[in-house]
Amino acid sequence: MVGFSFDNYQRNQFLTAKGYPVPTATATGTTIVGCRFDGGVVIAADTRATEGDIVADKNCEKLHRMSPSIWCAGAGTAADCEFVTQLISSTLELHSMSTGRAPRVVTCLTLLKQHLFKYQGHIGAYLIVAGTDPTGPKLFSIHAHGSTDVGYYLSLGSGSMAAMATLESKWKKSMTKQEAMELCAEAIEAGIWNDLGSGSNVDMCVMEVDKPAVLYRNYRTPNERSTKEKSYVFARGTTAYMSERVRPTVKPLAYDIFEETVSSTGGGESMEIDG
Amino acid sequence: MDAIVDRFIQRPGFDEDVLAKEEMLDIMAPSSVPTLSLPPISQPSAFLRAHTDDASNPDVRIKIAHGTTTLAFRFQGGIVVAVDSRATAGNWIASQTVKKVIEINPYMLGTMAGGAADCQFWETWLGVQCRIHELREKSRISVAAASKILSNLIYSYKGMGLSMGTMVCGYTKSDPAIFYVDSDGTRLKGDMFCVGSGQTFAYGVLDSGYRWDLTVEEALALGKRSILAATHRDAFSGGSVNLYHVEEKGWTYHGNHNVGKLFWETKAAESSFNNVSTDFTSDD
Amino acid sequence: MSDPSSINGGSIVAMAGKDCVAIACDMRLGMQALTVSNDFPKIFQYNNSFIGLTGLGTDVTTLSEVFRYKVNMYNLREERDIEPETFANLVSTTLYEKRFGPYFVGPVVAGINSKSGKPYICGFDLIGCINFAKDFVVGGTSSHQLFGMCESLWEPDLEPEDLFETISQALMNAQDRDALSGWGGIVYVITKDKIVKRLLKTRQD
Repeated sequence: MVGFSFDNYQRNQFLTAKGYPVPTATATGTTIVGCRFDGGVVIAADTRATEGDIVADKNCEKLHRMSPSIWCAGAGTAADCEFVTQLISSTLELHSMSTGRAPRVVTCLTLLKQHLFKYQGHIGAYLIVAGTDPTGPKLFSIHAHGSTDVGYYLSLGSGSMAAMATLESKWKKSMTKQEAMELCAEAIEAGIWNDLGSGSNVDMCVMEVDKPAVLYRNYRTPNERSTKEKSYVFARGTTAYMSERVRPTVKPLAYDIFEETVSSTGGGESMEIDG
Repeated sequence: MDAIVDRFIQRPGFDEDVLAKEEMLDIMAPSSVPTLSLPPISQPSAFLRAHTDDASNPDVRIKIAHGTTTLAFRFQGGIVVAVDSRATAGNWIASQTVKKVIEINPYMLGTMAGGAADCQFWETWLGVQCRIHELREKSRISVAAASKILSNLIYSYKGMGLSMGTMVCGYTKSDPAIFYVDSDGTRLKGDMFCVGSGQTFAYGVLDSGYRWDLTVEEALALGKRSILAATHRDAFSGGSVNLYHVEEKGWTYHGNHNVGKLFWETKAAESSFNNVSTDFTSDD
Repeated sequence: MSDPSSINGGSIVAMAGKDCVAIACDMRLGMQALTVSNDFPKIFQYNNSFIGLTGLGTDVTTLSEVFRYKVNMYNLREERDIEPETFANLVSTTLYEKRFGPYFVGPVVAGINSKSGKPYICGFDLIGCINFAKDFVVGGTSSHQLFGMCESLWEPDLEPEDLFETISQALMNAQDRDALSGWGGIVYVITKDKIVKRLLKTRQD
């Protein structure tokens, strides 16, 4: 079945009505930014994922590939960002196969916003969409309810104020690629240091016109943990156990093939996938 | 309740003469009930409940230590008192080494269930009252009288959020006596009580093994075994068992028994606890 | 009233070592304070992938059967075993399908890729967001305690026997500070050619 299943919905509503609170999903208390420069656009994100007041993941990936030259930074509910992004990127790929053209950023933006609007904000994805297409470099943001913005520099997430403070004070028109990258990194770092929901490293993606996008995973790592000075390994035999089973790992499945027929799919030619 | 609040509102601020006079009154009437200062709000008890009662609201920030199994029973050789030692705040195990028997004096013991601070404070205060009684009357206080002092005190705070379930155990002349006193104001005399979240499990074992003519050794073993059973089934009881024996000459301590070790020793010795298997139960 | 995912209690932890992974769980199934069962393992094996499921007991059982069905279907369609990475994505999409009526679980996946021989561990939230980790992942009512234990005890490139001690001590000491976990423990240590399963001797209170 395609789409969401509401099988447990009634049960969970009943549980909520009985007074059981709903457990929290991983939220990317996040800082994400995007910035345009001459001939391209850059987006960046921190790498902390939180569950309540716990840091669930210290080096998660908040930059999602929509197409080879369009990337998306996500804030809000982590699972929603991941899946809405995956869904639209596959729609985008099918669309580009059908049209025989590389997808445009506005197409990606429209697909995302229409999907999010349809779900009336229940899909908690807050995105910065950036990329290059034949019409040039583009930078947009989308909120969970489906509204969109255009800008030369944008920030989103719980650390957006810290990041915007940096962007507002240091951004200037027509920057070089290097300047834009440093500005974005600095803005994310402002979030890492000053927002408790953001932390760890800076991820970055640079998209230049007529060039493949480049992902800089952990572009900056200002929070590297030093190696332990002492080992805390227990002596073997410390833990008492009462019984033990040793099994070989499962051998790969072996299917007996009784009969095999190979037939043509009819078309004869292989499908064109790149225009 | 409102009367209590009013008393504090009307109290003159920093008039030293009045304060000195009040202090004198306190000293002159040592058995009077101490007064707890209340927060300056209209409904202190509702305020306390809203912020500490994790049973009705799990999001409360102040979680008072709960969860216990305590027991005491009378038998031919005196009284056995046995308790566990776990303190929990929500699901968090705050301590495995709590002393839940309060040694009121060399002749009387109190057990602790519910609010740890409430029990500790008021049973220590009870010790003071018992000593004052001794000095005044030139004779040791009866268990009935002591438990009544505690129960009257608790009753005066009824509805204000005290949480206690306690057993006052001791000797009146040559008679062993146990009184159950709780924060609702209940005060009961009896031969056997189990109190706390694990009480039902303890009663199960205690009822099946109890006889009046138990030897001291048997009685201590039964008390210990009952608490062990409770620590196994009740999530909020555990840690270790503290054992006491009360006789006419006073109480004696019979050690701290860690459940981690005690459980496996008991299981091996009795071939009991067969719900806990030492081998895999399924073959996959 | 308590959260649906802490009615029954239970904890899971998985760790990566040198060419090996380990996954461990407690054995308790309770109803609030009452311990109903001490023989309720929470780790399930599908081909060479392992999943630990904590949370609401009914959902643990239901999902373990759903995954059994789905992995069997995968085996029939693909005529090969499922790899841990693929299985993790299967778990993720299964949970996200129920985005607006979720299962109250906190799964953890562990296994070794049969082609590359690389250890793989990951965790999930209740709606399927994957947490890729290279060190350790935790779940369940003692997850806070487990985070603390793992952050201090875990180190890179542990041999299978050392990994067993590390994960066992992390689990046992974490559950000794959680009222709703414990009553036994099971540890799997998985290497490329062998799976060692051990039943721990733990406190029973």
